Amino acid sequence: MTGTSTLTGNRVGDERSADPSGGGRRPGRRGPRRPPGLPWILPALVLSVGLIYYGIGYTGYISTLDWDGVSPDPGHLGLQNYTRIVHDPVFWAAVRHTVVFFVVTFVIQTVLGLVFAVLLHAKVRLAAIYKVIVFVPVVLAPAIMAPVFRHMFAPDGELNWVLDHVGLGSLAQPWIGQTSTALPVIMFITIWEWTGLTFVLYYAAMTQIDPSILEAARMDGAGNLRTLISIIWPEMRGTTVALAILGAIGALKTFDVPYLVTIGGPNYATEFLGTYIYRQTIPLSHVGYGAALSIILLVVALIMALVLQFAGRERGAGD
Amino acid sequence: MRLLPISQSRLRPLSVLAAAVLAVSSLAACGGSSSDTAAAGSATSGTINWWGWTPTDTATAETYISAFNKQYPNIKVNYKLVNISDWVAALRPALLSGKGPDVFDMQPGAYVAQFKSFAEDQTKLAQDALGADWKSAIAPIGVSGLTADNKLTAMPVGSVYAGMLWINGDIFKKYNLKPPTTLAEWKNVCQTLKANKVGCFVQGAAQEGFDQDTLQSIANSVQPGLWTKVSTGDAKWNEPAIVKTLTIWKDLFDSGIMQEGAIGYQQYPDANNDFLTGKYGMVMMGTWYTQYATTKAMTAALSAAGVSGAKPFPILPIAFPDVAGAGSTSGMYGDADFGLAISTKSKQKAAAETFVKWLTTAKEGQQAIADQLNDLPSLKGVEPDFDTIQLVDPASQKAPVQDLIEKASTITEPREALLSADVQNAILAAATSVATGKATAQQAADTLQKAAEAAGVTFK
Repeated sequence: MTGTSTLTGNRVGDERSADPSGGGRRPGRRGPRRPPGLPWILPALVLSVGLIYYGIGYTGYISTLDWDGVSPDPGHLGLQNYTRIVHDPVFWAAVRHTVVFFVVTFVIQTVLGLVFAVLLHAKVRLAAIYKVIVFVPVVLAPAIMAPVFRHMFAPDGELNWVLDHVGLGSLAQPWIGQTSTALPVIMFITIWEWTGLTFVLYYAAMTQIDPSILEAARMDGAGNLRTLISIIWPEMRGTTVALAILGAIGALKTFDVPYLVTIGGPNYATEFLGTYIYRQTIPLSHVGYGAALSIILLVVALIMALVLQFAGRERGAGD
Repeated sequence: MRLLPISQSRLRPLSVLAAAVLAVSSLAACGGSSSDTAAAGSATSGTINWWGWTPTDTATAETYISAFNKQYPNIKVNYKLVNISDWVAALRPALLSGKGPDVFDMQPGAYVAQFKSFAEDQTKLAQDALGADWKSAIAPIGVSGLTADNKLTAMPVGSVYAGMLWINGDIFKKYNLKPPTTLAEWKNVCQTLKANKVGCFVQGAAQEGFDQDTLQSIANSVQPGLWTKVSTGDAKWNEPAIVKTLTIWKDLFDSGIMQEGAIGYQQYPDANNDFLTGKYGMVMMGTWYTQYATTKAMTAALSAAGVSGAKPFPILPIAFPDVAGAGSTSGMYGDADFGLAISTKSKQKAAAETFVKWLTTAKEGQQAIADQLNDLPSLKGVEPDFDTIQLVDPASQKAPVQDLIEKASTITEPREALLSADVQNAILAAATSVATGKATAQQAADTLQKAAEAAGVTFK
C-alpha cells in the first residue's frame, strides 16, 4: 500500500514538474530544497512525531522533574533522578532479574521450539492437533491466565496437590510466596506462553531448507542428531537472531505476568523494569523518577537490539 | 525523485497545517491539568457517577443509593467499584481528563495528598447541613484526616478501626478452642488447628496496608502509642521497640502462625476468600469486617468467594493478643474509612452535593451506613439498629459486635492517616525483607528509618 502510494506520488510529481506553468524558474538554478514527497508522508510524519517521538521527548523532559503527575509546579532536578537510579538497589535487582529471565526463557524456548518443529516436520499422526496445542498459549491473554497460575502455584494449589499425591509431598511449597521460587514461576509461565511462537517460526523456517541438502546429508551417513546439529541448526541462524532480539526486547518490556501473578514481589523478587516503572509512577506518584527509568529502559532496549543484530550479522558474515 | 515545482506555494498551507496540528496536540496534552469551571446543574435531578474502592461490594452501595432515591428519586447514582490496588491508576487519569467521577472516595493519608487538588472544599456544605458548629456534630477523626491545606477535601462517611482479629466461630467451637490472648496461646491454637488440617491464621502480607495493621498491633503490644510517635517523627523507626516489633513479626512466620507463602498473598482477594471459605480460623481485619457478621453480607461474600450453597458461619472479633508479653492489651486505631469528595470538574456538582450531604450528614443516610456495619457512622448519635440487623448467630455474635462498636467509638489513635505512600512502601519492604530472612530486624529498621528520612519525614 505504502509503496504503491509513493510510486503514484512520484509519477504525479514528475508530470507536474513538466508543466511549464508551474516552474517559473530560470534555467540552471535549483529551487529551495525540500524533502521529496513531503506532502504524502506528512500525515504519517505528524502521527509519528506527534505520538511517538513527542512522547519520548516529553518523557525525557519529565525525567528531569520532581513531579507527582498532577502538581502544576514540579521541581526541576536536572539529572538527579538518573544518579538516584544508579544507587537504587531495586533497579539493579530488576536488571538482574531481566538478564536471568531473558537467558533462561530464551534458551529453553529455543530448545523446545526447535525440538517441536523438528518432531512435527516428521510424519507424526495428529500433527495438526499438536501444533494447535503448542500454539494456543500464545493467543491466550496473560490477564486471563494469571489467576489460573496464581491458583495453580498457591500453597493449596494444583501443583502441590499433584506432588502430594505422587509421593513428592516434601517438594510442595508456596511457589509464588517465597523469593527463591517466585522468579522461576514467572519464567515457567513465560516459557509456556511463548514457546508456541518460537515453534511456529522455526517450523516455517525449516520448510525453507532445500530438501536436497538434507538428502545429501543422509546419503553421507548423517543420522538425525548430526543432521539437526550440522544442517538444520546453522540454517536457523537468522530465525534464532530474530527470536533473540524479540526475546530481549520482550524481557525488557516484561510487565503483565509478574504484575498479575506476583505484583513484582515477594520482596521485589520478581521486580522487572516495567513493574518498577509502574510502581514508581502510579502507586508512589514519582512520575519524574518513573520517566527516568523509562528513558533508561528505552536506551537499553535500543542498545540490546543493535548489539544482537550486529552479533548476528558478524557471525553470519564469518560463516 | 524530484521536488514539485509548485511545492513552495502549495506546501505553505500544509506546513502551517502541520504546525497547527502539532501545536494543538501539545496544547491538548497540557490542557488536562487546567481547572474546569463547569456548571453546577440541578440539585434535585441528574445522573452522577460515584467511584469507590469501598463499599467493597456493589450490593452495599446499592442499598445506600436506593435509600437515597426514596428522598431524591430524580438523581440517578451510578456506583463503580474499583479494586483498591487499582485505585490510583484508575482515578488519576479519570480526574485529569474531566471524564471521571462526580463523586469519589477519599481516604486520609496518601490519597488526600494525591487527590486534594481535584476535590472541592466541602466546608460550606458541612456548615449548611450541620450549622456553624458542624465539627462537633461528626467524629473528629474523620475531619482531621480529610482536611489538607485548610480544605475539607471530603465529607467523612464513616470510620473504620483495626487492631483486632476475627475468628471463625464454628471452627473454634468445633475444636473447643479459646481465643488466644498471648503469643504462646496463639501458637497453641495454631498447633491444634494444623493437627486437624485446618489453617490457623491467614494474612495477605504482600499488601502494605494490612502488614501495617499487624505491625501497629504488635507495636502497641510492645509499647502503646509508639507507632503513632514514629509516624509523626517523634521517635525513630529504628528505635529498639520497633526492632522488637519486627522481631515478633518474624516470629509469626517462623512459628507457623502465618500461613505458608503469606508474603505472596493479597489480603483481597486471597486471604479474604480463604477465611470466608473456612480454610483458616483467624484473619486480621478491621471493623469493616463487622458487615460479614450479618447473614445477608456473609451469604453475598461467600458467593463472591466462589462458594456455592455454603452455609454462613458466625465470625467474632477478638482482641489482638498480647504478643510482646508486656501486659499491654493491644489497642485499636482508626481513621475515617472514607469520605466522599466532589470532583472540581464535575458537571453535576449540585446533584453530587445533594448526594454527599444526604449520605454524610442526614440521619437517614447515616443510619443506612450504620446498619450495613461496613463503617461506623460519622454523625454522632447514630448507631446500628440491631433489632433490624440479622446476625448469623445472634447468641454468640451480638454481644462482642456491640462491644466492638462501643469501644471503637472512643478510639483516637490514627491508622494510616500519618503515613505517606513512600513510608508505607518502605514499611512493606521492611516487613517482607524480615519475613524472608533477607534482613535482620535491626537492618530492616535502619533501612526503614533512612527511607522515611528520604521521604521527607522530619525526626526529632
